[in-house]
Amino acid sequence: MADSPVSTHNPNPAAPSDDASPQQQKQMESAYANMKRKMSMQEIGRKIKHKVMVLSGKGGVGKSTVATGLALSLAQEGHSVGILDIDITGPNVPKMMGLDRKRLHVEQGRIHPAQGHLGVKVISMAFLLEDEDTPVVWRGPIKLGAINQFIGDVEWGELDYLVIDFPPGTSDEPLTVAQSLPDIDGMVIVTTPQDVALLDSRKSITFSESLKVPVLGVVENMSGYTISGKTSPGNDIEIAGPGGKKHKTTADSDGNFNVTLDIFKQGGGKSTAEEFGVPFLGALPFDPGFVRGGDDGVHRIVSEPEGASAIAFAKVVEAIKSQIGSSKSQGLEII
Amino acid sequence: MPDVPNLTRLERRDTDMKLTYFDGGEFTVTYDDLRHSCPCAKCAPLRNDDANSKTLRRQVEAFAPEKPQVRPVGKYALGFEWKNGCSSGIYRFERIWALANNQDPDNGKSYVHGAW
Ligand SMILES: Nc1ncnc2c1ncn2[C@@H]1O[C@H](COP(=O)(O)OP(=O)(O)OP(=O)(O)O)[C@@H](O)[C@H]1O
Ligand SMILES: [Mg+2]
Repeated sequence: MADSPVSTHNPNPAAPSDDASPQQQKQMESAYANMKRKMSMQEIGRKIKHKVMVLSGKGGVGKSTVATGLALSLAQEGHSVGILDIDITGPNVPKMMGLDRKRLHVEQGRIHPAQGHLGVKVISMAFLLEDEDTPVVWRGPIKLGAINQFIGDVEWGELDYLVIDFPPGTSDEPLTVAQSLPDIDGMVIVTTPQDVALLDSRKSITFSESLKVPVLGVVENMSGYTISGKTSPGNDIEIAGPGGKKHKTTADSDGNFNVTLDIFKQGGGKSTAEEFGVPFLGALPFDPGFVRGGDDGVHRIVSEPEGASAIAFAKVVEAIKSQIGSSKSQGLEII
Repeated sequence: MPDVPNLTRLERRDTDMKLTYFDGGEFTVTYDDLRHSCPCAKCAPLRNDDANSKTLRRQVEAFAPEKPQVRPVGKYALGFEWKNGCSSGIYRFERIWALANNQDPDNGKSYVHGAW
């Protein structure tokens, strides 16, 4: 308007000469952006063969450990894998993937994932934070908008698996993701064997019915802690575990023995799964190496690819794959 | 799901489905009942109060009769795809069993979104 030769004595300077008011124009622009985003989500849906959500009812049960573990275990098998960390308030996936203090890489309006261990592509809300010790407090609608943007604007390329890690204790994020991202294969529910955690997993199983996303199954984390040692061959060993429970074993012909102690109480994950008629995907041992890995950025599966935890993860991955593959109810005839 | 027998046969008829269970038990569930009890996040809260529940019922009954596509969900549930109306809900076999037995599939509990 500044260059306009027309008199500036416009009695109503707010009214533009165009047909659309600025407000309408804004609406059109945002509708266009939404449409573009929707189309790119459809495309992302096509390019990523399998999408798996990792949820839990209770916080701190090991969702992020399991999500990163699954991603790495799949990558170990040669799949191309991505992991999306939806946790806005406390994203810790980058740390576990050796990508601490990474910043977001944006090119031509598209967000490019960082590459973590074993070539796993990582997108995390942490890449947006200036200072990771200051959690961002996002208000509801902004948060969900950010999630949609994160899903729609990321250039994942072709992936076999995308693993999505969620924050604990909320409900909007899974709903938003389930509504935006087409064809999610299902959700993995992580629990520990404690009663409170189990109770909350029951709620998440019920919750899944409302999301159009099937439960692939329940994983019991921090299931038991195995200690091993050496003594004279054939020796009888007796160890007092938590709660004074006695564990007995006999050393083998080389004098090696190992005993699995229940840190909490094993088997709860399995019985919860049975109670709801959803699959039990397996148990992951209590392994202090996970904590160290979380701190020094080398995930357990990377530091000990043949270790007991890596083997346990591989089993869970197999169980998930067989659930994804077998989307038919055995013996049900539908006519 | 301890006391729900395995569903072995689901026959889609014009306005209802005939269910046969492993123990030979046969039941019918009308599509109206099925759709009214949709467990999805949009439909389920409507059943929390009677007026909304009745509105949902009338909406469901107003749809032109159609047979749904039935899609197994894992090994524990079924999904129903309709040309009109909501196809989002995942029906656990437990829910279908409750409907077959004319029991309240919500078990008297009101829906709390993401109750965890
Ligand atoms: N199997 C395990 N053995 C030992 N420590 C574990 C195991 N799984 C997780 N942990 C530790 O427990 C802590 C919480 O794990 P993690 O961050 O994965 O949980 P979360 O469910 O993602 O938490 P949040 O709810 O805050 O997102 C971490 O310190 C992690 O290293
Ligand atoms: Mg976490």
